Amino acid sequence: MANCNAVQKEIDKVLSKFAVMKEESAKEIDDVINSFAELKKKIENGGDLQEGEKLFLACNSITRNVLSRISNNHKDLHNQVSKVGKAIDRNFTSDFEAIITDPSFECRNDLLNKSIAEHLIREGRIDITDILARESGMLFTDENHELFLKLHCILEELKNHHLELAIEWAESCKNSFQNTNSHLEFTLHKLQFIKLVKKKQLTECLSYATKHLSKFAVEHTSEFQTLIGCLMYVNKGLENSPYSHLLDAQLWRDAEILLLKEACYLNGLSVESPLSVVINAGCRALPPLLDIKNIMHQRKCNDVWSNKDELPVEIELPNENRYHSIFACPILKQQTSEANPPLRLICGHVISRDALLKLATVNKVKCPYCPVEQQTSEAREICF
Amino acid sequence: MADLKTLEHATLKVPYEILNKKFRVTQKVIDREATNVKSYLSELDQLLKTTPSSDNLNSIIEKLVTFKKKVEESITDETEAAQVCKDRLSHLQEYAELNSLSAEKWRKQRLDRMLVEYFLRAGYYDSAIELGKSSDIEHLTNMELFITSRKVEESLSAKNTALCVAWCQDNKSKLKRMKSNLEFKIRQQEYIELVKEKKILEAVKHARNFLSSTDPDKLTDIKQCMALLAYSPDTELEPYRSLFSEDRWKDLTKQFRAENFKLYQLNMNSVFSVTMQCGLSALKTRHCYVDNEKNDSCPVCKSPMSALAEKLPFAHCSHSRLICRLSGEPLNEHNPPMVLPNGHVYGYNALSVMAAEHGGKVECIKTKERYKLEDAEKVYVM
Repeated sequence: MANCNAVQKEIDKVLSKFAVMKEESAKEIDDVINSFAELKKKIENGGDLQEGEKLFLACNSITRNVLSRISNNHKDLHNQVSKVGKAIDRNFTSDFEAIITDPSFECRNDLLNKSIAEHLIREGRIDITDILARESGMLFTDENHELFLKLHCILEELKNHHLELAIEWAESCKNSFQNTNSHLEFTLHKLQFIKLVKKKQLTECLSYATKHLSKFAVEHTSEFQTLIGCLMYVNKGLENSPYSHLLDAQLWRDAEILLLKEACYLNGLSVESPLSVVINAGCRALPPLLDIKNIMHQRKCNDVWSNKDELPVEIELPNENRYHSIFACPILKQQTSEANPPLRLICGHVISRDALLKLATVNKVKCPYCPVEQQTSEAREICF
Repeated sequence: MADLKTLEHATLKVPYEILNKKFRVTQKVIDREATNVKSYLSELDQLLKTTPSSDNLNSIIEKLVTFKKKVEESITDETEAAQVCKDRLSHLQEYAELNSLSAEKWRKQRLDRMLVEYFLRAGYYDSAIELGKSSDIEHLTNMELFITSRKVEESLSAKNTALCVAWCQDNKSKLKRMKSNLEFKIRQQEYIELVKEKKILEAVKHARNFLSSTDPDKLTDIKQCMALLAYSPDTELEPYRSLFSEDRWKDLTKQFRAENFKLYQLNMNSVFSVTMQCGLSALKTRHCYVDNEKNDSCPVCKSPMSALAEKLPFAHCSHSRLICRLSGEPLNEHNPPMVLPNGHVYGYNALSVMAAEHGGKVECIKTKERYKLEDAEKVYVM
């Protein structure tokens, strides 16, 4: 944030100087205009001609001064203006090209456009996808096009607390859901029920519960009990009852997320847009990568990185962006591979095969983490 | 907040350059108008040995009023330009103060901003305009800059030099500092076109006007140009063949583009593609390219991202980070990793849930082998 504030300081100065400049120059010109106007009045009233001439010369030289001063004052502002540019250069990185490792990346427009189109379709921005298709001359045939179009209608309705479309969709996918222990149908019926409770229509609540909720009584016993329990407060209103949590708007947002998740899961898709995930990861990765690249450049050890098939630093990503188990050998500090798989020693500790061979003396190895000693052949290959 | 520092230079620098340009224009306007008034005053001084008439004074006042108006207008212009800088800065500053929900929205807008820039660079202008409009980020992108350059590029590919020459004039001082030869190249091309049309006299006149540079570096170019008069456009002789070549127009467009970027300190690659490369690398694991180890949620496991990431480096990982294949939850002291007799590792939590549902039996989802829960052994990962 300090970098933004440094720039802001300079911009604020420029703005205030512009304002002062505008006001002062207007005033100075007005003064000159006034003195000419006075002179004019005097002459028109037949004043002393010699004095008039003197006055004119005086006005004349004042005017020249004012004009020069305005021009010079403005010129002096340039210093402040250029300070803004310098502050931007000092506080923001202008060149990040140093970290590019695949120069052909930008040329792969087809793949980039396809990733973007998939993202836009996911967001329901079909109109922009169509324009992109026209301008790039590509055809984005996405089998999920229809799915996301439909999902967006449903989610839009859900945002406005209309459940009909969502329930209809959940019921149509019932068969697929049965294997996945989905809570979606129950969640949607629950919200519909709460809506009726809010309208204080007891009989309708009861008939809705009998018709749609009773079948979930076994699976979701406690929630079902809560829902039926809240009927006691239908007339009083739930706001001041022990059931006020049922009115939480978060329930609706959770339902939206649940619906999206289930829909993606059913179709073998990721819940989050792959493009957003990648870009957010990139925003985290770029600063440390740039830092390390600069350090490497300064110490003239550039090749340390370029020879390797891996990034030079570990990038911290949130847990939800970790999709694969990675085992790094605690001895060699590197990832295991098919050629160098993880081995479990009889004590339960895991190290890589290369590490085991390095630690072994003849056929025996002592665990580096505990006193247990064993035959090297007793270590067992495992798979994370 | 380090991502602001690395990603947002162009967001601020481009409006700054525009401000700087506006400032210079204002200075010129003020100087020109002041000289105007001054020269009128001197005229009166010399002509009139007596007192000026009220007509004279009227016209002085009129000139001063115009001067005042012009000064005010141009300062308003530059204030607006500075305000654009400030508005963008405020948008960046917002990022630090947001809660997680609105920060997500901010990041979404950032992605859209990146996409707009990518579209503009790729020449997908309508997509850029539409996306900018629908996300309400037009004021945060450098759309105007690209739209101007689009016009110049289009005119160049239609073999029209007027707009590009005007652009060169407009940015004369900066181009000079960059030691750009774009204007010379454009003039050279105009000359070549005249030669092609066999308008020899006009060509020579044009060369006298625009090519008679004193710069020693340009002498070879000038000599070649003049020798061109001796050849016809279908010559096979180099360098005259390439001077006559139509490809020169494409090169000019490319050069214009590069210099326009350089003028505003824009990188040759879009922020979008650079960020994407970093992101793909940060997520890329060796598992992403092994068929039965893919994960539906992982962006890199699937086309088209997997193809994009192919040549990029893998993520670096010096500490194990393990995830249960059954639940997707991390394996740690709260969910210790357990190895089944066949060597596959799962989390204790998921295994015990499975055992409870299936009478104490667990099934390896990879090999479909079934074991008793007691057969699973603890694994210690340091």
